[in-house]
Amino acid sequence: MSSRKYFLDLSDLQYKRVRLPWKNKLIRFTIGSLVCVAVTLLYTAIINDMLGSPKEKVLSQEIESLKLEYSLMGREIDNSVRILDDLEQSDGNRYRPILDMDSIPSSIRNMGVGGINRYDELEGYDNSSLMLSFRAKVEEIRNRTTVQFESFKAIEERKNEWKREMEYLPMISPVNVIYRLGDGMKFREKHPVLGTPQWHHGQDFSTPYGTKVYATGSGKVIEAGWNSGYGNCIVIDHGYGYRSTYGHLSKISVSVGLNVKRGDLIALSGSTGTSTGPHLHYQIDLFGQHKNPLYYFNNDLTEDEYFEMIQTLTAQSKFR
Amino acid sequence: MANTKYKFNPDSLSFDKIRLGVKAILLRSLAYLIGSIIIAAVLNFMFGLFFDSPREKALKREIEQLTLQYNLIHREMGNLEKVIDHLQETDDNLYRTIFGAEPIQATQRQAGIGGINRYDDLEGFNNSKLVIETAKELDKIRKKVYVQSKSFDELIMLATEKEDMLRSIPAIIPISTKDLTRIASGFGLRIHPVYKISKLHAGMDFTAPLGTEVYASGDGTIESVLSSKRGMGNYIVINHGFGYSSLYAHLESFNVKEGRKVKRGDIIGYVGNTGMSVAPHLHYEIKLNGVNVDPVNYFFNDLSPAEYEKMIEIASKTGQSFD
Repeated sequence: MSSRKYFLDLSDLQYKRVRLPWKNKLIRFTIGSLVCVAVTLLYTAIINDMLGSPKEKVLSQEIESLKLEYSLMGREIDNSVRILDDLEQSDGNRYRPILDMDSIPSSIRNMGVGGINRYDELEGYDNSSLMLSFRAKVEEIRNRTTVQFESFKAIEERKNEWKREMEYLPMISPVNVIYRLGDGMKFREKHPVLGTPQWHHGQDFSTPYGTKVYATGSGKVIEAGWNSGYGNCIVIDHGYGYRSTYGHLSKISVSVGLNVKRGDLIALSGSTGTSTGPHLHYQIDLFGQHKNPLYYFNNDLTEDEYFEMIQTLTAQSKFR
Repeated sequence: MANTKYKFNPDSLSFDKIRLGVKAILLRSLAYLIGSIIIAAVLNFMFGLFFDSPREKALKREIEQLTLQYNLIHREMGNLEKVIDHLQETDDNLYRTIFGAEPIQATQRQAGIGGINRYDDLEGFNNSKLVIETAKELDKIRKKVYVQSKSFDELIMLATEKEDMLRSIPAIIPISTKDLTRIASGFGLRIHPVYKISKLHAGMDFTAPLGTEVYASGDGTIESVLSSKRGMGNYIVINHGFGYSSLYAHLESFNVKEGRKVKRGDIIGYVGNTGMSVAPHLHYEIKLNGVNVDPVNYFFNDLSPAEYEKMIEIASKTGQSFD
């Protein structure tokens, strides 16, 4: 009751209650509301400017944790890059030189990096550079991985070939290393039996009658039997254009068409054909050209080592 | 004054003028202020429930894109890592079949050189910072000690007037090898690639493409330059004096003639595949008073201690040689 307000009506000098018409009330209410909204906006502006809204804070925090995730992934990526570096080193410095393959130029290895900007959709963000750098790194890794994969595939193929070649080419002495070397590959003024001047196309080993003769490389027997001047003779085709011939044998223990392995016992030496005494005639041909057999093996083994080698080479299986 | 307002006082039964004190005005405005702030907060909150501010929108967009990219990159990396793992296996297999020895694991291969994550294993503990610092300090000291001991060695050498000898002893790797990846086979019993039996390998093998430069490992005189289709193939022997001589075999071609004096680091020839060799490589031997010694003990000039350790590890593997 005490809050009632009165005013003095000067016309009849009476105190009367203050009664506002509804219009005035509405105007007052509107003004009040407007002030309220204005103040709200003002506060919001000030608070958001100074502190950021709580929601913004939450979002910023989320971004920070995402960045952390990125940096963790960055470590993973760096690790992959390190491994790739290592593999490329291995590829270029170890395998390719050994297998006599050209190394991969760095222009191919780093192909496609830094080309046209393919990541337009990443422009215009606060962390654009972060995302871009990651995408670029991943792209680089993918390219390098692809190149490395192809490279290893090629190396693998070449390696198998290399291994095979090493097994097939005639690369050991056909008889025990203790035997004296006879005539080598040279022009003989006088053939010991025929007496005429002619080329000697192989290497002679002065072996006693019945010495064991081993295949000097893996391959296929294409001749085994009597061959006029060579007497009892074996020819092995090693592939890659190589053929080895063993002449003047007394006993042949392989037959035509048989696949032999390096170190397999193929015959016993003798003195058949045009020969003055027991010896082994050993000859290597490359695409029909006579080669000096001495260039194809080293006399760097002792007798014990030689037989250890024969045993090791034929350990698994003899003929195949 | 029609605006003057009155209040009925029931005690005195009279109408009193309403007068507001300063305090009352302050209180009222304070009430207004607080009221408006409360209303503002409520409105702000309600508004925030339904609408985002531009900044919030930008942030959300950012998060969305970051998450999208993260997932994309993560998936991609997952795939790539699988491929890389596969590549590592291939690498190991190739190593096994070509060199006939167990490969050094990738992590080990990286150890000591580059040193990016040398102290990785020390991270993640409460006192890891302290431990890492200590470890770093220790490493520094170790290096200093190494340098110190080296300089002492040198002093002693100088004191005994062995300057010439220092220059002459074959003490560098005769081929440039980054990260030591070119070392293929060391000194000692190695499987012969053709004979398949263990044979003394009297030197060290380095893999390198045909035509790679070969350096003289110490000052000396070219004792012999020999061409052969057997054994060592084209090879050079350098007489360093003081009982030392070094041999470089299977060369493609020569860059020096017999009798010439060479200095450490001079190019003497080029890597090849001549003589009894199954692949292009350099075969390097050191002889002391006519006896073959392990070259690995003579590469002290251009290697850091870590590299030296790594080299010894590589060279001590019993793989196969290449001649």
